[in-house]
Amino acid sequence: MYFLSPNLAEPQHFALWERLLFAALAATSGVLFWRRFGPIIKKILHSRKDPGFRLFPIARRVWDFVWEVLCQAKVIRERPLPGLAHALVFWGFCAFALVTLNHAAVAFGLGFLDPQGIVGRFYFFLAAAFAIACAISILGLFVRRFLVRPRWLGEKLSYGSGAVALLIFLLMVTYLGSFAVTDADPATRVLWWTHTLALLIFLPLIPYTKHLHLVLSPVTVFLSRGGFSRIPPLVGDEDFGLVAGTDLTQLVSLQAYSCVECGRCSEHCPATNTGKLLNPKEIVLGVRDYLNNLGPSSAEPLLGKYNSQEAVFQCTTCGSCEYQCPVGIEHLPILVGLRRGAVNTGTWEDEHGGKLFLALERGSNALGISASERDKFIQKQQFPIFEGTQEYCLWLGCMGGYDPKGREIVSDFARVMNYLGTSYGVLRKEKCTGDPVRRLGNDLLFQQLAEAGLEALAQNKVKKIVSICPHCVRTIQEDWKEFGTPPEIEHHSEFLAQYADRLPNQNNSNPAKPEKIVYHDPCYLGRYRDVYEEPRTIVSLAGEVVEAPRSHERSFCCGAGGGLVFLGEETGDRVSHTRAKELVATGATTVGTACPFCNTMFRDALAATGDAAPHLMDIAQLTARGLPQDGTKMNGSISA
Amino acid sequence: MKIVVAIKQVPERDAQVRIDASGKWIEESDLQFAMNESDAYALEEALQLKEKHGGEVVVISAGPERTGSTIREALAKGADRGIHVDCGDLGQRDALGVARLLAAALKPESPDLVLTGLQSDDLGYGQTGVIIAELLDLPHASLVLHVEKTDAGLTVKRELEEGWFQNIELATPAVLAIQSGGNKLRYATLMGIKKAKTKEVRRVTAAELGVDGAPAAVLERITLPQKQKSTQILPGTAKESAAALVEKLKFEVRVI
Repeated sequence: MYFLSPNLAEPQHFALWERLLFAALAATSGVLFWRRFGPIIKKILHSRKDPGFRLFPIARRVWDFVWEVLCQAKVIRERPLPGLAHALVFWGFCAFALVTLNHAAVAFGLGFLDPQGIVGRFYFFLAAAFAIACAISILGLFVRRFLVRPRWLGEKLSYGSGAVALLIFLLMVTYLGSFAVTDADPATRVLWWTHTLALLIFLPLIPYTKHLHLVLSPVTVFLSRGGFSRIPPLVGDEDFGLVAGTDLTQLVSLQAYSCVECGRCSEHCPATNTGKLLNPKEIVLGVRDYLNNLGPSSAEPLLGKYNSQEAVFQCTTCGSCEYQCPVGIEHLPILVGLRRGAVNTGTWEDEHGGKLFLALERGSNALGISASERDKFIQKQQFPIFEGTQEYCLWLGCMGGYDPKGREIVSDFARVMNYLGTSYGVLRKEKCTGDPVRRLGNDLLFQQLAEAGLEALAQNKVKKIVSICPHCVRTIQEDWKEFGTPPEIEHHSEFLAQYADRLPNQNNSNPAKPEKIVYHDPCYLGRYRDVYEEPRTIVSLAGEVVEAPRSHERSFCCGAGGGLVFLGEETGDRVSHTRAKELVATGATTVGTACPFCNTMFRDALAATGDAAPHLMDIAQLTARGLPQDGTKMNGSISA
Repeated sequence: MKIVVAIKQVPERDAQVRIDASGKWIEESDLQFAMNESDAYALEEALQLKEKHGGEVVVISAGPERTGSTIREALAKGADRGIHVDCGDLGQRDALGVARLLAAALKPESPDLVLTGLQSDDLGYGQTGVIIAELLDLPHASLVLHVEKTDAGLTVKRELEEGWFQNIELATPAVLAIQSGGNKLRYATLMGIKKAKTKEVRRVTAAELGVDGAPAAVLERITLPQKQKSTQILPGTAKESAAALVEKLKFEVRVI
């Protein structure tokens, strides 16, 4: 009880030399801090203004700040134990803000928190509680970094982090120690000075180490573009994306300097995890190195010495990096920006990429198949043509219109719509939405396709679209906005979920042993659109939903996104095979998908897992197989 | 090296063509147009020669207003200048008529090399390049896959039949008709399009060139190819049906 009973001890009567020494040390510490921090701020401010950036509406920003910074929600959610330790250190810092101010003021006899007073006493005890939690947490984090050494913190040990951890520990211990002494005790003076020195050494370390995030990341989180993978518009005749330093925007530079090197982005990256060159953390650090060495007015290409073009084009744009990042870095606009720079200037040369671009320059679809094949398919399936009178325009997409498996999915989905009595029609002509070229950074082609698509939809008076492809859905709904106002669009999982109570429940026929179906979250439906429960509702009508170890927001990519399905994977393991093994290991007999690209990737990948490979079915197929075979509609009538 | 590339705008590959009311040409109103495929390869060859040896690439195209977009596309891919021979009646002109227009327009350029595509995807005469050479009195080679500049002139690789190739030497200036597939085509870029905005496209009319429009050969009527499904199932065991197939290939189709 001796420890808790006395008040915080403060040294009394500082001699003039002590005051002068303290002032001199504080000034030195401040100067050292600014000598590094000043140029960084200058580089950020001297970067190009972000086109299309708006501070308002501000509510979203305030909420992100409260939730992600003050509550540390993302930090904790994605890595609970180290996250909580980090949060306790952070909260400790917050609580210490007043204590530290008071600590400095005491040297000049200006202490404003009275250790004897009720407010002071309460506050110092509160801070002491935080100090204990903070000291234990920082020790834990120290042990994690230097003894447990998780792979994602990087191969090289960060001694800067070690030094900072020890300083924080010292700060907490010296504070707590002040409860065990009295004002007159000489030890009090020693504690005060030790605490002071630790503070003054800590301050300049901030801008020299990744602890720069202490200062920058709250701003970064607040100023982030928001949304998901929000790709900024190109402005003027000289903007081709991220080509050189002069193209780096203030947000990109701010984000690059905010990186805390925690490696969460790499930990979840499908490319990094399958032995590719790409590591999202290194991309961000590459931009930072570029800024440190060359600055934001350099004309030196961003791709080359500091970042590799090969790595940038290995990204599947699955977005797990952006989703994970606790300091508000938006990786996709950076990665896609670097691709734009390479493609819009013609520096990127790739056999398959070139073929894809030419197929879309000259033809209508990404698969390079003649449009007449789509006409034949529509005729064969007797899909009604959209006349402007039906409720839904059924958007086929390249996969639904040309790929054999995609066609099966669309046909089954059409059967379900027939059963439900929904009125729909397909467009006579349809072009690719431009998803793969958008993600690969070909803005010329993307703009042409988006404008052609918007015009076709307007001409046909389309009010509402439904599509089986999350890539089409995302591109039409979000990316086309740059060139017009796209109609409302639903993914077929969202459509089907609305009618869940009118669709047959297949579990009724075999309630004792339902089919185990593992549902794979497509990146463009989950992280990009926040749709997780609707497809699961549909799957649960066909069997028992089984979850993969990585699911929902943490789902692992199939490897197709970002145009990579057209480029192929030249190095490392196949992303699709890695994911397929994980899905098979759940013991499910069926893999449920909601994206024709995932489907096509898993078709081969599942076959490679062995003879007992599970079935592969889209949610539309899972639904359609439960429908009456004779074409009976929901209301009992027979469809034509 | 100054290279002139003759390009043609043709209906897009995926286009569904319909015959117009006159019965002599296709209905153009709802068609999308693109650069003729082998012309795209001719342009690519020209751009690669320019990248290697320097010089200038000028594209020339005859056609109505809409042809401008294809000229712009060529400029976006790297051509330096364009010449648009403005004529609305391209469909009615025979290969000789078109070649006369192009030859008259490109002669003042006195190029070192004229490249054309092997043939157009719409009419498919395969004559324009040959006739241009004749009108300009220049050496000519067709079915060219690859062009190499030498001290004396050019070495070109031609595609012959049955997988044979021929390498021949030509003096410059010369006219070459380029076959598709010899190079990888480059994609159009945003930067290229923006640069193309400021590049010069000169317009000339047939009248200004002093070329009259009367064709030597008149297009009477065009028809869509008749589609007929004549799949035959040859019954019997594998041996029997194989024997029947050989019989048919030999005596009915006469291909073996």
